[in-house]
Amino acid sequence: MGISRTEAASALTDIERTAGRSRELKGYQIAGPILMVWGVVWILGYTGMGLLPPEQWGMTWLPLDALGILATILMSRRGKNAARAGSGWKIAAGALTIMAFMTATYLVFQPTSLEPAIVYPGLMTGLVYGGVGIAFAPRFLWIGAGVFVATLVGFFFFQPWLAFWMAAVGGGGLILGGLWLRRA
Amino acid sequence: MAELDELIHQPLRLKIMAALHAQGAEPLEFARLKAITQATDGNLGSHLTTLEKAGYVEIAKDFVGKKPRTRVAMTPAGRKAFRRHVEYLREVVEGVGGE
Repeated sequence: MGISRTEAASALTDIERTAGRSRELKGYQIAGPILMVWGVVWILGYTGMGLLPPEQWGMTWLPLDALGILATILMSRRGKNAARAGSGWKIAAGALTIMAFMTATYLVFQPTSLEPAIVYPGLMTGLVYGGVGIAFAPRFLWIGAGVFVATLVGFFFFQPWLAFWMAAVGGGGLILGGLWLRRA
Repeated sequence: MAELDELIHQPLRLKIMAALHAQGAEPLEFARLKAITQATDGNLGSHLTTLEKAGYVEIAKDFVGKKPRTRVAMTPAGRKAFRRHVEYLREVVEGVGGE
């Protein structure tokens, strides 16, 4: 028994769609715990910013970011069988590129007050996750939008407690987002 | 020319095989497979049994704490059969071997 060209084409479309959905859910399962790690990094980093003088902020974030990147590489290896080999390093390279861009922006624009420097990572995270969400995995769009809006709310309405706001709402939001991805 | 695998070609079984193939060597939990294929419990279970009898998938049941867990993985024979079936579909679309 044979099948028509239309039927074969439709079956191939079904296969492609199902495989895409399967890879998307697997991606969420891997990304969820990574997002939760970054949530903890944010909580610790921003709490440090709230408690320590600005000259110590860099030394607070440096080890935390290094730890976050290392955890990202190790945890993304879980998906290595299904994903392309070396994807962990691509993620790390992407994270380093974003950090280099952010550092360059700080140096060029040199914010005259502390608040813009505090919220900038939140806005940048919202942008990056929004882009990832639009291009690949829709749930990231919602997480990115949440972080972006929460950051703006903190900047305009909670400036006296901005670092603690970012720790609680930004870091907590990333942890919740990670849980949501893991349950996908 | 490759041949049609009628067992795999059934729409839900095709989705099950596509989902498992995309996972590589890793098994897929029943609940996740259900979410991907958008099938009901009963329907999915019955088609999985058919695929298991054909030797295309392996079903493992265990417990995580007190919670039962069912995991499904594609066997090497299933992977080979799925690839052959996809090859057949491509040949039909491209008009290879006849017409």
